[in-house]
Amino acid sequence: MAGLTGVVGVLLIPCFAGAAPDSAKVPEKIDLNDFPGEIISKVVVPIPAEVFAVLNKLDEPDWNKAIALPEETSMGRERAVLALTFGSLVGEGFIAVQANNADKIQDIGRQVLTVSEALSLAGAVRPHSLSIIEAAEKRDWTRVRDELDRTQQTVRETMEKLRDEELSNLVSLGGWLRGTHVVAEFISESYSEDKAEILNQPGLIAHFRSVLETIKAPTKTAPTIRVISSGLARLEAIIEEPGIPSEEAVIELRDISRSMLESFYFVTPTAPTAEKPAN
Amino acid sequence: MEALLPHLPRRTWTRRLTLAAVLSSVLLLGGLVYAFVNEALSAALEAATPYVEQGFEVREDNWSGEVTPGKPLLVQHQVFRGNEYWFWAGTSWPGATVRVDVFDSAGNGVALETFAEGPQAGARALPEATGTYNIRVITEYDPESPAAKEVGDIDFEGMVDWGLVYGYR
Repeated sequence: MAGLTGVVGVLLIPCFAGAAPDSAKVPEKIDLNDFPGEIISKVVVPIPAEVFAVLNKLDEPDWNKAIALPEETSMGRERAVLALTFGSLVGEGFIAVQANNADKIQDIGRQVLTVSEALSLAGAVRPHSLSIIEAAEKRDWTRVRDELDRTQQTVRETMEKLRDEELSNLVSLGGWLRGTHVVAEFISESYSEDKAEILNQPGLIAHFRSVLETIKAPTKTAPTIRVISSGLARLEAIIEEPGIPSEEAVIELRDISRSMLESFYFVTPTAPTAEKPAN
Repeated sequence: MEALLPHLPRRTWTRRLTLAAVLSSVLLLGGLVYAFVNEALSAALEAATPYVEQGFEVREDNWSGEVTPGKPLLVQHQVFRGNEYWFWAGTSWPGATVRVDVFDSAGNGVALETFAEGPQAGARALPEATGTYNIRVITEYDPESPAAKEVGDIDFEGMVDWGLVYGYR
């Protein structure tokens, strides 16, 4: 019997070897310093929802508390600032989805459309904006997330077709910055290494720094771009070391990203003034 | 026109010329419509479809292009520990196949599961650390394959298309 089993085994081995799962072909290691092919330069920036998904698994953040819509009147008219604002508004949308806050999502959908009008992209954005509002009414959060991603992608592709790659990259930067700030804010409130690891994104910071380096004047010298440029350099200095950011580093990340957002998105807090006495 | 577009497969530029003609017509009619369809990405997205039901959210942004078969491509991408990822690749060139693998920041293969079914492939990863991972895409072309022979009137000029998308949950 043992002999028969051996014969059957020998006969079967080649048959099963041919039908081996594809995963068996995965090599153990590749040499990244000497890759025998083409390294693709395009960087796909993760949407804030990807980061929020991890944070939600580790904590129960109060997403409603984090929603901070900018005043429409405070939005500039400069195209670079509008592109950054657009990206941050989409980021805000992802925060509102985490909060399951349909009213805020609808407000964001309308603001997204307002900014796209200022960017002369309302035609491309309107269908998405309406879908966001409709999906929020139905509390279909997955669809809202998909539509927010689609909105950002449509705007970026439209900008790229109009040979406005600079603006397209600023849309991604605005979204990433808003997402990074809210995550750093939550983690600074209740630090843990597991959560802080989310902020370990040196590749993305380097990408955005190189994006800003390629921006041409006069946009490059605009005050907002200069603030963001110097902010990214400071973020890079904190994150460049491999490993998990410390609690102090997370607080710094929160404050730096906040000051960057204050240059175009949040209203800068003003010094308290003497209260006017009530009549 | 061929001299102007020497690096593209004929099928690609004839498709683009057709697309340009269609777009011109649309623009002449006064509408600003972008009707570009990337068939390699469509193949990758088709591979992703069954996984959407499993809760994977497929990103809109993606990678695509044209490559000499056999030449590996490396895409670098930020991933987060705590999320699960699928990367799906596709090609639309008749007779071309594609494979996709995932490596961590040190070059170690980390795909927990892969499949390669002709013009579509996928690889699943559960990152052990947050950071930049490497996704390798390799296309191959077999002129003797039934798919290539079926459209034998198309001359292969050395390049095939490829597309890569990903999803997370």
